[in-house]
Amino acid sequence: MAELVKQPKIGVFICHCGSNIAGVIDIPKLLEYTERLPHVVIATDYRFMCSDPGQGLIREKIREAGLNRVVVAACSPTLHETTFRRVLNSMGVNVYYFDMANIREHCSWVHSGEEDAALEKAKDLVRMAVARAAELEPLEQKESDVKPSVLVVGAGISGIQAALDVADAGYKVYLVEKEPSIGGHMAKLDKTFPTLDCSSCILTPKMSLVGQHPNIELLTCSEVQEVSGYVGNFTVKVERRPRYVIEDKCTACDDCVEVCPVNVPDEFNAGLSWRKAIYIPFAQAVPNAYVIDTEHCLGMTPIACGKCKEKCEPEAIDYEMESEILELEVGAIIVATGFELFDGRRVLEYGYGLYPDVTTNLEMERMLSAAGPTEGKIVRPSTLEKPKRIAYVQCVGSRSERYNPYCSRVCCMAALKQARQIREKYPDIEVTIFYIDLRAFGKGYEEFYESSARDYGVSFVRGRVSEIRHSFESDKLVVRAEDTLLAQPIEMEADMVVLSCGLEVFSDAEKLTRALGIQRSGDGFLLEAHPKLRPVDTNTDGIFICGAAQGPKDIPDSVAQAKGAAASALTMLSAGKVILQPYAAVVDEDLCAGCGCCEASCPYSAVNVVDNRAQVTEEACKGCGTCAAACPNNAISPQHFTIEQILAQLEALFQEAK
Amino acid sequence: MLDRRIIDGNKFNQKLADEMAEAGYDRIRACIQCGTCTATCPAGRRTAYRTRQLIRKALLGLREEVLSDPTLWLCTTCGTCQERCPRKIEITDAITFLRNLAVEAGYMRPEHRGVSHKFIKTGHAVPIDDEKWSKLRESLGLPPLPPTVHCYPKALREVQKLLKKTGFDKLVEYKGDD
Repeated sequence: MAELVKQPKIGVFICHCGSNIAGVIDIPKLLEYTERLPHVVIATDYRFMCSDPGQGLIREKIREAGLNRVVVAACSPTLHETTFRRVLNSMGVNVYYFDMANIREHCSWVHSGEEDAALEKAKDLVRMAVARAAELEPLEQKESDVKPSVLVVGAGISGIQAALDVADAGYKVYLVEKEPSIGGHMAKLDKTFPTLDCSSCILTPKMSLVGQHPNIELLTCSEVQEVSGYVGNFTVKVERRPRYVIEDKCTACDDCVEVCPVNVPDEFNAGLSWRKAIYIPFAQAVPNAYVIDTEHCLGMTPIACGKCKEKCEPEAIDYEMESEILELEVGAIIVATGFELFDGRRVLEYGYGLYPDVTTNLEMERMLSAAGPTEGKIVRPSTLEKPKRIAYVQCVGSRSERYNPYCSRVCCMAALKQARQIREKYPDIEVTIFYIDLRAFGKGYEEFYESSARDYGVSFVRGRVSEIRHSFESDKLVVRAEDTLLAQPIEMEADMVVLSCGLEVFSDAEKLTRALGIQRSGDGFLLEAHPKLRPVDTNTDGIFICGAAQGPKDIPDSVAQAKGAAASALTMLSAGKVILQPYAAVVDEDLCAGCGCCEASCPYSAVNVVDNRAQVTEEACKGCGTCAAACPNNAISPQHFTIEQILAQLEALFQEAK
Repeated sequence: MLDRRIIDGNKFNQKLADEMAEAGYDRIRACIQCGTCTATCPAGRRTAYRTRQLIRKALLGLREEVLSDPTLWLCTTCGTCQERCPRKIEITDAITFLRNLAVEAGYMRPEHRGVSHKFIKTGHAVPIDDEKWSKLRESLGLPPLPPTVHCYPKALREVQKLLKKTGFDKLVEYKGDD
């Protein structure tokens, strides 16, 4: 406690951040002002305080002046608080004797062009930080064990890759998938650009590895309902919907399918074929078991139908199966929930859903697949004849303020790939791609683009399609665009049109992000902690993201990011311990009247009134301070943001800058 | 026809785009030249009107070329381009604005000037100034003139006062009865 009574000796370090701060704020004037603030024994500046020499400067001044508190006036603490705390730690100063004044994001960046006002505001911010620094108290960091298991949500290629990497490292993985089989969108693709690997050939071995891996517990037909706990110690509630088929007993013999009287459009084939109400999503599905679609099943009783159960020899069908809630304990969570295809019907002028020969890129992918509804043949949906000319419409739902402003990043290459496949199979079918900009940016992509034009004769029109209509005279579709390179409107008759529908965030993103407590960016996709330096982290420690859930992405990028997310989770797991910030609220039992305002206001259920006194569960408390605001007696307060510290800041704010 | 001209890049400037942005059409700078406007234009399907090209030239600052272009007057202001533009650019409104600039710069079509003069004179762009229209009305059981400024000379004088006050008469070079 000796440290507490020691007179504060504060050092203030002002960062130029190149011209980011110094280009707006007059640093010499700010320095001169800072030097005169109470308890400040030294104030100095440097071009980049976060750099090695900058950190060295802080160390040197701590030593020289015997500083016991440090204020850095620079950027946001989310960026560099940890950096500077490390400096204090290396000098034997408690890391909680540190505060940052954000004179970049909160000042110079938003006040360029009003230099005088910016200087005054910087003075306010520094004065407040200094006042708080004088009130800071030393705190002890706590460590917590990390549970040696990971929850992976979503089992498309990203989730599969992340799960395999974590499981191969020797940790337990719970892989949760909403659909009855894993595989995601990649399972529906025929070939993959730019190498033209058969999608199934590279995906299904991974799927089968997942199914057999001793460290992976696969939960299909399952969805995350609730997440509680904190980094290293999450408790996750997962709802597992009944499959009505016992996975271990089902031999995938197809007997049940033969007797099922119900036909339903097959979602795996983009609705181009039929399946039964009891079905297997596709031949290589994992788990390789049937599932009953209760929405379309006539009813699972002998009176309604019951034919499948009657027929099933291994007695794998169980109509009594019920939903169950599983509670999983995990150290880290990886979210890989993927994307959803833009609904082409939304662009009315393209007539998708109205003209049968207007199709989507996913429908074409299924047609191209030898295992698809046409066994790899390309046919006009309206006549089932071979088309003579196919037109591709790029940027459907993408790069548009009316739908999604972002570029979906995969459609250019997917269209090129399909066009090339069509031309390879049927050299007499003409393929024209209408595009705004052709984006072939990945490794080997530009070369693929070049080859599809040179070796396969795919033709291109630079112009976005404005509308598609049906000509009664020719029974063909008429595509209207402008050839912007010739500056002439163009009309082209095509037997088939393929809409390159873009990528959108997965459907129940709102529900899942709420349960996980993670954020989304303006485009709806999951938000990373930093777009460049923390691309797989979220703002919630211990929760990582990867794949198309984070933003439109092709397979190579998805796999790379999945490996990154797995590595980040493994770093935590192999360290075995995480540091918990000692911010949890503390109760002054002498002042607490047990009224329960804190308990009612706590968003994390971290406070409970026991024997007429509030009690805080430290691990659950995030130190948000809601309880402190609610308490009528000032009896509860988070540490490091105490009432005294905040009042000191406010008092400093309302002092006049001299 | 062979066009041997080379675009003089030194003539590019931001002034016209600035003016358009100031008038509220700042989104034209977000144009990605996709051609949806030209492709969707019902007037452009019948005429030489090329929406995207006009916007492109405006963006480059080729002021005289845009304002003197007779196709600027072929837009029917139907608004389809504006509705379909993926960048939500106020295309039809911007074309109207360019027309205003064109007139200010003296590029008014003689037909438009004629109509404007009629408007100042009679209070109608298409007035009933021929006996056969009045007769046609009467044959349909209507009074020879409709109950507009045609019947109220005092109201017509007010319209004319307004047009004078706004400078419309000068803009269309109206020099009184001729």
